[in-house]
Amino acid sequence: MQSPAEEKSSTLKAVSQRVPLWRDVVVIKWVTQLGLLAVVVTSLWFLAGQAGDNLQARNINTGFDFLERPPDIQLSEGIDTSPATGGRALWVGMVNTLRMAVVGIVFATFLGVIVGLARLSNNWLIKRLAGLWIETLRNVPLLVQMIFYFAVLTALPRVSLESGPIHGWFHVSNKGISMPRVFISDGFYQWITVVAVGCIAAYFLKKQREKKHDLTGENTHAASWAFLTVCTFAIIGIFVHPIFSFVGEIFAALATLFENIPATLIKILISSILIFFAARWIRNFFASRRSATGHLSLIDDDIFRMVFVGTGALIAIIVVISWTGISSWILHSGRDLFQMLEAKFEVDGAARPFDAMKPDIVKPGKFANYGKNGLTMGPGFAAVFFGVVFYTSAFVAEIIRGGILAVPKGQIEAGNAVGLSRSQSLRHIVLPQAIRIILPPMGNQYLNLTKNTSLAIAVGYSDIVQVGQTVYNQTGKSLPVMAIWMLFYLTCSLTISVIVNYYNVRMKIVER
Amino acid sequence: MTDNETKSSVRGDRDLANAQDIIVCEGVSKWFGDFQALNNVSATIKEQEVVVVLGPSGSGKSTWIRCINRLEQHQEGRIMVDGVELSNDLRNIEKVRSEVGMVFQMFNLFPHLTVRDNISLAPIWVRKKPRAEAEEQASSLLERVGIPEQADKFPGQLSGGQQQRVAIARALAMEPKIMLFDEPTSALDPEMIKEVLDVMKELALSGMTMMVVTHEMGFAKEVADKIMFMEGGQIVETGTPEHFFTNPTEERTKLFLSQIL
Amino acid sequence: MNSANSTSQDQFSSDSLTDVSKNELPPKVAALSPTEWLKANLFSNTFNSILTVISTAAILLIIRGLLSFIFNPLRQWSATATNMRLLMTQAYPEHQYARIWVSLGFLLFLTGISLAFWRAGRSVQLSQVGKRLLALGAFILLATLLAPFSNKATIIWLIIGIFIVGIGFLLKPSHEDKTVSSLTLLSGAFLLAILSLWVIPYGHHSYLSTRTPKILAEPGTVAMTTKLPWTIMFVVAMCSYFLGSFIREKIDETRSKAVLSATWLISPLFLLFLVLRDPDFDTGHLLSTDIPIFLFFSIVGSVLLLWLTRPDIGEKGRVISAAILFVGFATFLFQMLMIVRILTLVLAFFALAAPTFSGQKPARIRYTKVWIASMVILCWLITAINTPSTAKVPGDFFIGGFAITLMIFFFTMVLAFPLGVLLALARTSKFPIFRIISTTFIEFIRGVPLITILIFFSVMVPLFLPDGMDLTEIAAVTIAFIIFEAAYLAENVRGGLQSVTRGQHEAAEAVGMTNAQKTFFIVLPQALRVAIPPMVGQIIATFKETGLLAIIGIFDFLYIARSVIPGQTQYMGSTRENLLFVSLVYLVICFAMSKASQRVEKRVGLGER
Repeated sequence: MQSPAEEKSSTLKAVSQRVPLWRDVVVIKWVTQLGLLAVVVTSLWFLAGQAGDNLQARNINTGFDFLERPPDIQLSEGIDTSPATGGRALWVGMVNTLRMAVVGIVFATFLGVIVGLARLSNNWLIKRLAGLWIETLRNVPLLVQMIFYFAVLTALPRVSLESGPIHGWFHVSNKGISMPRVFISDGFYQWITVVAVGCIAAYFLKKQREKKHDLTGENTHAASWAFLTVCTFAIIGIFVHPIFSFVGEIFAALATLFENIPATLIKILISSILIFFAARWIRNFFASRRSATGHLSLIDDDIFRMVFVGTGALIAIIVVISWTGISSWILHSGRDLFQMLEAKFEVDGAARPFDAMKPDIVKPGKFANYGKNGLTMGPGFAAVFFGVVFYTSAFVAEIIRGGILAVPKGQIEAGNAVGLSRSQSLRHIVLPQAIRIILPPMGNQYLNLTKNTSLAIAVGYSDIVQVGQTVYNQTGKSLPVMAIWMLFYLTCSLTISVIVNYYNVRMKIVER
Repeated sequence: MTDNETKSSVRGDRDLANAQDIIVCEGVSKWFGDFQALNNVSATIKEQEVVVVLGPSGSGKSTWIRCINRLEQHQEGRIMVDGVELSNDLRNIEKVRSEVGMVFQMFNLFPHLTVRDNISLAPIWVRKKPRAEAEEQASSLLERVGIPEQADKFPGQLSGGQQQRVAIARALAMEPKIMLFDEPTSALDPEMIKEVLDVMKELALSGMTMMVVTHEMGFAKEVADKIMFMEGGQIVETGTPEHFFTNPTEERTKLFLSQIL
Repeated sequence: MNSANSTSQDQFSSDSLTDVSKNELPPKVAALSPTEWLKANLFSNTFNSILTVISTAAILLIIRGLLSFIFNPLRQWSATATNMRLLMTQAYPEHQYARIWVSLGFLLFLTGISLAFWRAGRSVQLSQVGKRLLALGAFILLATLLAPFSNKATIIWLIIGIFIVGIGFLLKPSHEDKTVSSLTLLSGAFLLAILSLWVIPYGHHSYLSTRTPKILAEPGTVAMTTKLPWTIMFVVAMCSYFLGSFIREKIDETRSKAVLSATWLISPLFLLFLVLRDPDFDTGHLLSTDIPIFLFFSIVGSVLLLWLTRPDIGEKGRVISAAILFVGFATFLFQMLMIVRILTLVLAFFALAAPTFSGQKPARIRYTKVWIASMVILCWLITAINTPSTAKVPGDFFIGGFAITLMIFFFTMVLAFPLGVLLALARTSKFPIFRIISTTFIEFIRGVPLITILIFFSVMVPLFLPDGMDLTEIAAVTIAFIIFEAAYLAENVRGGLQSVTRGQHEAAEAVGMTNAQKTFFIVLPQALRVAIPPMVGQIIATFKETGLLAIIGIFDFLYIARSVIPGQTQYMGSTRENLLFVSLVYLVICFAMSKASQRVEKRVGLGER
């Protein structure tokens, strides 16, 4: 017997001979689609051509060479306030955006959970306060809030050598907020190696204790033992970490290795990995579409997907093979990475893993300013930070509240019935279920927060948008800068949604 | 009037022997993935005939009648409805759909429209009738199915039986030549089944061509002109109710009847 | 499903875990004595007692801090008050201000009639009002004691507080049957505010008073110039409400509601481009070009559509409409007036939709009427926009401030909605290419921040336009907003579309509807209903996002408050005052919108399917 797919197509053929074209549903379907595609492509083509003409007429070139050239830019904040090249400046902007996003997400979640729980509290005053917080902050536009915080911060008293409120420890002034800073010091990498060894030890210890528990039934406190082991290693590590300075030599050897691998090897390696993955994906895809009897049926989408993956892999391979720069870049960065790690281990034995410093105030000329010792938030950073954290916390609080309220009442009753206390049933019954409801909208809020950091441009915090704008104002390269913006934000959005989806899927699997 | 008398009087009105074929299926097959839902189904239904399709669940009954107004596409074979072949021809599909009424198991009334609008929507926009005429027709149809007072309610305010009767009225409003019933009573409470079956009986008496997928054996015995028994995507046995219920030829039919009767 | 969820939440919240909705509990429940209430709600256990004490202290400190900020003699509140005109309309000429009042009056007239027709407002128990007033009065008394007032001010505020508390006490014990409409309360509040304009000279006690200490109001200050117009506005709103209640019984309500909705949609365009902008029409051009084009399209289009809506036209109509569509796109390849291209495309879409709405004679004539009406609006709008304005202003746009915020918000919502629905339909369609295009577009827009899109449009659009075509920055930015919001609305609508069951599609197909009819009559009405709550959320978000106009240098509300007023020599450093005012305006509007949407949601009984 023939396969139905073939059978189907033969029927279609027979019919399309009889049916006039303009009445055939299949023809109409594809003509409409191709028509729309043609319109979209033509308009894009037309617009691009127009832009090209206009750019030429105005003598603007759209190359990316400005990334290599030195810009004339002074940034307000970041890992490098006077970057050497345009590319470096944009990189600093990206780091600043990411820094703000990460810090914002952490604090907004923390604050939002507190406010959300307060909203559910049975204390009348607390509940009302939380409600007021939520309704006020989420109904005032974030941008207005940010500018307001900025205006408040810059209207604070000038910084002077005696600035307070706690002199020498905590300073608040029109230059921002400065506080003591704890940072990782030279010995950190050796210390973390000790801790890593401790973790391995703890893992085996935990396994062994668990085994004992399974065999004898006595409570062996496996988790506590593992935790204590790690702690012990961490404490001992502070004193004995220099013994791990030999790790540096391993890295040195690896760096030499990377220096000597020929680029062709890398090309072959990457290509075969790509081929392997693409082939495996397509094979699995076929397998998932094939039924037990070996009957295969593909819909339009499936073919699109396979063509997409196949073409993608092919293009990637061609790029890797034809563009030697990529393979040698991989080799170089590998070498650089290991050389950097090697350098991290080449420290003298007395270095401490951690260090801390009090904030300082310097007065180089007429005006005082914060020195480099403390952890300083400039007014721009602080305005964006408070803005996104407060604003997002209001939304997070509503999500938390909604999630907890969405857990059926019967669950708590069941918890009470087996004798759990209020807090116990909250922790063991309500929360695990609420998390499932909470997670997807939380992911959305994280995405929003990341995108909202772009409003920093209004208060002069050097994020990617602000830096980008400065760069294109100086170089006239608006198109490439905007392309970089969009790519950067798309990557961020994609990463966050991938992470959230991963947890979503994992939660679901665990639940079932 | 006993059941037999009803039937014979009906038969007296209709001349089934000389009636024209209205639905013709030739070797219809359909697959869902690798599962063959219909396997070479061939059957002919005459005008004014009432055909009841029986069979265990998953036997392809619903798929078959859904193929007849192309809610599902058959992949092999031919289906002709009232002389029009179902193919990719847009005109044919539109024509067949407006001549074949369908009643669903889950009613599928439009929840955002009143009962009256549910019934008159398609006549206005598909049959292109003036609104006043369509609404008048809706009222008379509601009277026919016995719920004239519910015209301005929304479907959500009606009981299941009433909803199904509205669904029948909605299908009738298109003045179809054929009515398809896909398990019309399966989602109903027992006390509501009768009111729907009564409407269907009345419809059968009025000479409508009907194809009914159901588990109501009483209805099949009483009203059907022909019973088709399906299993595994095939028509196993076809015959009159007398023949089917008293003297089935196929083993599988006997087994099925022994399980349900 | 949604509603099931939310109702279960409601029941739930009033029960054991929380007592969120305690206030809404019927008053029949034996009232707790004050001490009992305190014990139950504030001091139920040690932890709660500690929390209560700490938060009370914090509240007192915050109130005191806020009050000493607001009433600090250094604050320049007069900066906001004196510049009210700038904040609202930027440089709109003073002698043409009557136009603004006329527009506002018309909108209030519509509001009054609509409130009457939709029977808005609910009844509030007087005892509830009393309770609220008591709380308000108590708060004022507390705040007065904490605030750094002069003796005189303290006494005035104390008297006001005691007065409010007194009213509250009078109302509180009233019977629960005694209710009052919330609309009455609202208009009472407005009346009080307007009366205060006649008594309190807002916006004058500034630098003016130093010159001539006894001046109460100088031309250009708020109270003097607005007390009469506002009073008229109030009278107009009240009268139109009573007019609405009077005539709603006399005429067909569904029809008049439809007319009202259409007026709401169209009137802003007329107010903006005819009343406010006051275009200086060129009669010669009108007679030689605009009117002939309009007549040509309405007559030829009407004849064509009358023919295309015949019920027996069949697929011939489709072929012809497709041909017109092709011609419409082809017009872009040749030199001709933009208006001709646009109208040809619109005609093609009407022709494509014709079979869906075809029928007997009345239906065909109705469809043709819709065509002529949209021609009138489109032709007139395009002509008006392209005609220079008589309002002579320094910038390149005739109005700014809050007015432009509202304008862009309106255009965004009106145009983003249909685009969003189209995108959502494409994303859920059975056609893979439609899905790919729509999904790519939506995900791209949703993946980048609004500000980058705004900058892109305001900086880059001139580069993409052919020679001779011009787009003002305002128009470019509005397009950016529309595209951005459409992508988000599309996702909301998609949620609604996915909630329409398969059975509904099948039932529509079984009665012979075409795909377009199925979508228009069956699927969309249900999907949009489900999508209302998230869409309202998106509308509120859009309103908040209008503030971003300030970043790209458009003279909107926020930009004037932040950059223009603090630049005036006498109001240096008044940023915080202005921003607090801006925040208050946004807060009130957004809060009101979200509360209103919650009420509407409950009233429509969403999701009762």
